[in-house]
Amino acid sequence: MDLGNNLDLLTVTFYGTAIALVLIGLYAALVKRSLIKVVIGLSIVDSGIHLLLVSIGYLKNGTAPIFSPAVIDKNPTMVDPVPQALVLTAIVIGFAVTAVALALVIRLYRHHKTVNIDEIKNLKW
Amino acid sequence: MVGSPVQLIAIPLLAAFLMPLLGKAWKELVRLTPGVVLLYLLYLSVDLLSYTIGHGRVVEVIAGWTPPWGINLVFSPFSGFLATLMLFMGLLVWIYSYRFQPFEDYDDYEPTLKYYLLLMMLITASVGVVLTGDIFNLFVFIEILGITAYGLTAYYRGRDGAEASFKYLFIGSLSSTFLLLAIMIIYSQLGTLNMADIAVRAHELKPVYKISALVLFLVAFGIEAEMFPLNGWAPDAYSQAPAPVGAAFAGIVVKAGLYTVIRLIYTLFDVGGTYEFLIVMGLITMIIAEFAAFSQARLKRMLAYSSIGQMGLVLVAFGIGKEEGVYAALFLMFNHAIIKSLLFMSGSYLVYKSKNKYISELNGIGKMLPVTSFLFALGAFAIVGFPPFAGFWSKLAVLTAAADSGMILIIALILSISLIEVVYYLRVVNRIYFVKRDTDLEITKPTPQAMLSMLVLGAIILVVGFYPDVITGILHKASATLLDKGSYINDVLSLSQTIN
Repeated sequence: MDLGNNLDLLTVTFYGTAIALVLIGLYAALVKRSLIKVVIGLSIVDSGIHLLLVSIGYLKNGTAPIFSPAVIDKNPTMVDPVPQALVLTAIVIGFAVTAVALALVIRLYRHHKTVNIDEIKNLKW
Repeated sequence: MVGSPVQLIAIPLLAAFLMPLLGKAWKELVRLTPGVVLLYLLYLSVDLLSYTIGHGRVVEVIAGWTPPWGINLVFSPFSGFLATLMLFMGLLVWIYSYRFQPFEDYDDYEPTLKYYLLLMMLITASVGVVLTGDIFNLFVFIEILGITAYGLTAYYRGRDGAEASFKYLFIGSLSSTFLLLAIMIIYSQLGTLNMADIAVRAHELKPVYKISALVLFLVAFGIEAEMFPLNGWAPDAYSQAPAPVGAAFAGIVVKAGLYTVIRLIYTLFDVGGTYEFLIVMGLITMIIAEFAAFSQARLKRMLAYSSIGQMGLVLVAFGIGKEEGVYAALFLMFNHAIIKSLLFMSGSYLVYKSKNKYISELNGIGKMLPVTSFLFALGAFAIVGFPPFAGFWSKLAVLTAAADSGMILIIALILSISLIEVVYYLRVVNRIYFVKRDTDLEITKPTPQAMLSMLVLGAIILVVGFYPDVITGILHKASATLLDKGSYINDVLSLSQTIN
């Protein structure tokens, strides 16, 4: 993440988009009053973080990190596969959390007949 | 040594996903499987623990990729002690919830299946958090722990479980974001995810990255460990979840959360001032939680706030550092697991039929439910630290550790906060025994299984109270292991040389 030396357009786009996504998501999660929008916000934050994580492992002109005889001979630069594996795992986890959250929202809607946070406060928020 | 640490995670995971199939063959298997599996795992874990005490830690390499490349599990006297404690508490929670009436009230067996499945996953994830030696693996286990905990919190349809659960999910989801960011900073700077490798090379990090990673980690882990101000989820989750789940949260989930904070500060990073930070956060957590507990009108919320207060005290003990402080903290964690679980288990039968679970509805219940009330009183006396019960020795250990480090002000604070604790617990005991009954709520007798698990916990409180030596040996060994960072690093990283 050393921005000083190789600050090119691509890097700035990646990091900028990721940070923008995180901020948009946080805004939705913290400010919106509808539970559905809160869940969407949390999921956007996740996407932003995933993008950031993948862009860390990116190398300029890197190819996919798949070892096969044809590729090895050309001795190419490969991108770091570890962040990609991490992001795949994190996407699955994020999916599960979103599913659970939406199930809870459905339960809350059936109970309170609304998804507005301000009207659901049997417990102190 | 009969098994390896990986079985402690693989077997319950397999059992959890086999349960729906087993239930198709014979419905009773859904109830029986968790017990059989947990009993076997407890045997495995005790056996491994006695082996590690004699021979040092067991480091298990997964799939032949040696550290620092692959994932490894570390079963040391410290992590093994916590894993064994979690499995033991899991077994007791299973006994307590076997044919627990509210679960039987559902028409079909589907809710029962879901409960046991989630409980098994909860235990698997907690044991995984404690044993893993890889920070990304830790993230995965924390997420499994979180998702199962959300599910269990929202278990009852009638109560406000979904609301408590959503609150927990919201804060838990933000915590996982922070955790991913922290892992990303570490990986981008050091190129490794292995805890031992990070511990060796943490000094290569630039201060700005080190501090931001540390802060992000602390926020993420502090949420599970109920550290102030990240513990807003806890009182609601505890009070809305079914009784055995409350006991499981106090005995298992919080222990996993605390473990992550401790591993972070004692092994991963060596930053000046973190111990003082732990003391300050612990004291704030304790003071606020105990005052909040004092003003609660509902029994389960009071117990939840008291639980947060105890976690604050554990953080203080860890912050004191040195072997004495760590020993005191581990002793407190053990006591909190057994005593708070007993309080949740017996307390929930005392307010069983009540809708709002007010403390005032306990008036005079001592004559109607003598054994349960007695066990609740025993737990109350033990947790505030009256001799000769188990809680006395751990509180004494904290005070001695603080005195040896010359922290007189902290002793004064802990003692005055304990006074508040004494007042609100004795107030409940007073209502149980000395106030005339004025409600016409029906009472429910505990099932024999519930009674058995409560009696076991009560017996442990008395045994540890009279003969603390049964537990202190292993606690000393565990605290020495945690402090010996060099041998942790060496044991894990030397594997790549021996195999190659």
